[in-house]
Amino acid sequence: MDTSPAQPATMEAPSPARAARPVILDVTNVTKSFGGLRAVDSVTFDLRQGEIFSIIGPNGAGKTTVFNLITGIYKPDVGQIVFEGRSINGLTPDRVLRRGIARTFQNIRLFNNMTVLENALVGQQIRFPSDLASVMLHLPNYRRAERQAKARALELLSFFGPSLVARQDEYASSLSYADRRRVEIVRALGSAPKLLLLDEPTAGMNDAETAEAITYIQRLRREFNLTVLLIEHKLQVTMGISDHIVVLDYGKKLAEGVPAEIQQNPLVIEAYLGRKAEV
Amino acid sequence: MILRRSQTTLRGYLDTALAWLDNTTLLGRSLRWYLTSWPLGLVFLLLALLLPVLVDLPTLTAAVSICIYAMLALGLNIVVGYAGLLDLGYVAFFVIGSYTVAVGTGGILQNAQDHAFNIPTYPFWLLLPLAALLAGIFGVLLGAPTLRLRGDYLAIVTLGFGEIVPIIFQNLPFFFGQFGMSALPPADINNIPLLGSITFSDPLNVTPFYYLALAALVIVVLAVYALRDSSLGRAWIAIREDETAAAASGVNLVRTKLLAFGLGATVGGIGGALNAAFVTTIAPSDFNFGISITILIMIVLGGIGSIPGVILGAAILRFFDVYLVSTVSAALQSNSTTSNLLAGHDINQAKLLIYGIVLLVMILLRPQGLIPNRRRSRELKGIGASVEGASAVGLLEREEAGLDVPVEDTLDETAYAGSGSDAQGGE
Repeated sequence: MDTSPAQPATMEAPSPARAARPVILDVTNVTKSFGGLRAVDSVTFDLRQGEIFSIIGPNGAGKTTVFNLITGIYKPDVGQIVFEGRSINGLTPDRVLRRGIARTFQNIRLFNNMTVLENALVGQQIRFPSDLASVMLHLPNYRRAERQAKARALELLSFFGPSLVARQDEYASSLSYADRRRVEIVRALGSAPKLLLLDEPTAGMNDAETAEAITYIQRLRREFNLTVLLIEHKLQVTMGISDHIVVLDYGKKLAEGVPAEIQQNPLVIEAYLGRKAEV
Repeated sequence: MILRRSQTTLRGYLDTALAWLDNTTLLGRSLRWYLTSWPLGLVFLLLALLLPVLVDLPTLTAAVSICIYAMLALGLNIVVGYAGLLDLGYVAFFVIGSYTVAVGTGGILQNAQDHAFNIPTYPFWLLLPLAALLAGIFGVLLGAPTLRLRGDYLAIVTLGFGEIVPIIFQNLPFFFGQFGMSALPPADINNIPLLGSITFSDPLNVTPFYYLALAALVIVVLAVYALRDSSLGRAWIAIREDETAAAASGVNLVRTKLLAFGLGATVGGIGGALNAAFVTTIAPSDFNFGISITILIMIVLGGIGSIPGVILGAAILRFFDVYLVSTVSAALQSNSTTSNLLAGHDINQAKLLIYGIVLLVMILLRPQGLIPNRRRSRELKGIGASVEGASAVGLLEREEAGLDVPVEDTLDETAYAGSGSDAQGGE
């Protein structure tokens, strides 16, 4: 079962430019097992403010599990996840979101029987007053929140151009595949996150759509002042836009570094290209 | 106005009629809007207000019962229709509300005349909010341990709760077991300016109580509309659609589900309080599993998640139950020559059978209900089905279209979420 290389993952000293940036997310020694399977095995990495950071690795490497651990869908068995200096271990997903981490899903999980606008509004759930009286009686503070949320939702939809705004009252399931991915990002942005986790944002997209996705991921970072954590399979995407990459294989960290280093790392090449020959 | 002469089918006529309704405007609104939006509700409310002068006593008595059950159905609809949590023990909150009023208005004293102790009695207007509060608390208490359960498992637990509560009332000596208790109607109010006095206690004049029940129903309807169109209503639908995505979008699952249970139960408690004050005698045997199911059938019949639908469902079933059954039974018994087959039979005994048939017919022919909720009918038609299903279809379609589809990692999340199946085994 465990065919991962015996060599420990090398910890290169961060480049001076990277070291100068403050750490926003610190994942230390995190392990998660399901039954006898170690889906994530002592993984350690850190994200710096404002960077685009990619997690890559072959199928079943534990990338999405890392996302689920960070966003509170799973709790780590061992290890620490610290966001902006505070531990987020064991927080529920909505609490993690309140701290400033939003995500999308690999297999788009929109609320299909809600409209585009409603999806965007659910993303802003944490901005609404939570006391029952305000909500039930639509008190002024609730109405203000609703007004602001709608305005904000339209503003976020217009990030992707006028077409999504025009479709605000259509059901999410009636949108094209690429538009559904966009609405999911709008939903995630609704909470005004500091860190955005994108799980394969270009999965199932053709070359033109992929190129567009690359552009908007960079725009997201710039316009919303985001740090982006990316899971991506297309190497042309990760290599093109990542500041930093960590490679997972069989739940373990195989390598870490800037794209140029990763491309030349023999372990990575083996994991990606030499894997089939070994079976 | 579009007239398409070529269309001869019923569908064609229907479309034409709808188009006419859409395109004919009155005061800047289409006629269809008047027939489907709040003006129609207002018409029905006016009719309801005029009902006491329009109908006789038995019908008005049935109408009181309809108001109470419509409230119950709206309360259960919060839990089942909005949050998507199948609650089969809703009768428990009905019981709690009923017994709160019975105990509080001195039902114990009445039943225990040979007991000398002096038990205080409280006015109905105090007991009504207390019943709502107590039922709400029990709703949250039922919700709390069942948060992790879904579908069938949740239904079983709530069913058990609905069975346990009446049995508790039956077995605690304090509540006089199967004999039940008396409850007093709201105290009469005298000397109201313009109106004179209101007499709630006269069994031959149910008009005041009818207006009380109607007022309670209107308040519940307005509250449910407000909830549906709020961030909480959106959170409920989001949970029903995809719990994980809802949580990741900032919906506090625990709080949101408990609010659904609690608010649904609160409405049940109000219904129970009114019911006890109206029927004035309650016994544990009045509150059985059949009530929970009947309320659920009202929702399914009218349209899950649809407020006007749920009220219509309650009206139909309750009218059938209290009015039609007694009338038809009486007719059958008095005139046994009308039908050899039905003569001397009690339709009451066949009631649940008829409900069952109604439920079957609805599920088979019109699962979205008589007045469907738009979102729910989409779900039932399988448009934008489950999340996994929807995205799988999306990927397949794109694969057929020859687009680049990475198959890697598609099982990553779902496989792990199960029992830790061997996601890496194939490597």
